[in-house]
Amino acid sequence: MKNTMNDIVKMLLFLIIIGTFFTSSLVLMDGYTEPIIERNEIIKMKSGVLNALQIPFTSETLDERFSAHVEQTEIGERTVYVTKEGAVAVPYNGSGLWGPIIGVLAVDPETDRIRGLTIIQQEETPGLGGRIAEDEYLGQFTNKRFSPELELKPEGRAEGENEIDAITGATLSSKAFVKILNEEYSRYKELYEEQS
Amino acid sequence: MAITNFKETQSFETIMNGLWRDHPIFSMVLGICSALAVSNKLENAIAMGAGVIFVMVSTATLISLLRSLIPRRVRMITYMVMIASFVIIVDLFLQAFFPNISTALGPYVGLIITNCIIMGRAEAFSSHNGLGQSILDALSNGIAYTYTLASVAIIREVLGFGTLLGYKVTPESWTNWVVMAMAPGAFFVVAVIIWISRTAAGMESE
Repeated sequence: MKNTMNDIVKMLLFLIIIGTFFTSSLVLMDGYTEPIIERNEIIKMKSGVLNALQIPFTSETLDERFSAHVEQTEIGERTVYVTKEGAVAVPYNGSGLWGPIIGVLAVDPETDRIRGLTIIQQEETPGLGGRIAEDEYLGQFTNKRFSPELELKPEGRAEGENEIDAITGATLSSKAFVKILNEEYSRYKELYEEQS
Repeated sequence: MAITNFKETQSFETIMNGLWRDHPIFSMVLGICSALAVSNKLENAIAMGAGVIFVMVSTATLISLLRSLIPRRVRMITYMVMIASFVIIVDLFLQAFFPNISTALGPYVGLIITNCIIMGRAEAFSSHNGLGQSILDALSNGIAYTYTLASVAIIREVLGFGTLLGYKVTPESWTNWVVMAMAPGAFFVVAVIIWISRTAAGMESE
């Protein structure tokens, strides 16, 4: 009886020591990496905004370029980034086919014309839906207009200024993406018109 | 002379077992889940392999050092706590210093915890072998996992994306095999590699 008691005490002691040791090393590691990870997130956002606005930058000039060209403002409860020429970069976020699609959409709110857009994160099928994140695909959005919203056409058929080519074999991903852009932009536009 | 001597040592046994004879993926078919998931690009495979090697060597070191202190009845929990902590460290490290790789690997870094190779080697080897041997065993098993992942990734990245480590390696007229970029492609490649290496090694199937 005494022996088993002893064993249990030993076991508990061992677990407490091991637990304390590892928890404290994780706390240390977390404290060390937290500011770096936060900084990475900011870099991601800033380069997304600059890319969408088609402002060239390098990793050294990122901060300087960002503060020179872009001003962060709140509209409703949304954070948006406004340039001196009146273009606005709106971070968007919605569900794609497999996972969230997160990025930045740059628009001229007076004309509803797209300046450019970037995707920061997506989990669509690599090689199919994943192609929405390729520059070649995103390039076609430049100068398109939300009039009143973007429309998806089969690949190669987009002609009008609000028409977007789908990706053959990845219609669902293209649809989801265009839907996110339409929804997010109309939400922003409402806020914009309320304010002005 | 030196070579023949080395061949008879325990260390050589340990290394050869890990790297080839008891290869975790070919011969024990462990760690398949992550081998399928993150082998679509060579870069991801290497990062994943490095993470697994780090976690394996660290846990092997600790378990081997503490093996006489760990109470038998809670040994599994102890291994789990160690493995989980090291995996979180790897995850934080990748997020801080290699954010792109971290995004690409996504939840699979965390899933190193459930990689049976680590738990398997901890229970089967480190818990009753000395420090040196345990580290060798962890290293060779980790390297075996990594080179398998890398070879699957080389095939899948070239066929599925036409690139290798991000550089274009196929001619302009190349059509990407989309299936290779997706999980089913991994099943085909892993199966073929296991088949070829088992035949080459003359392993019997049960």
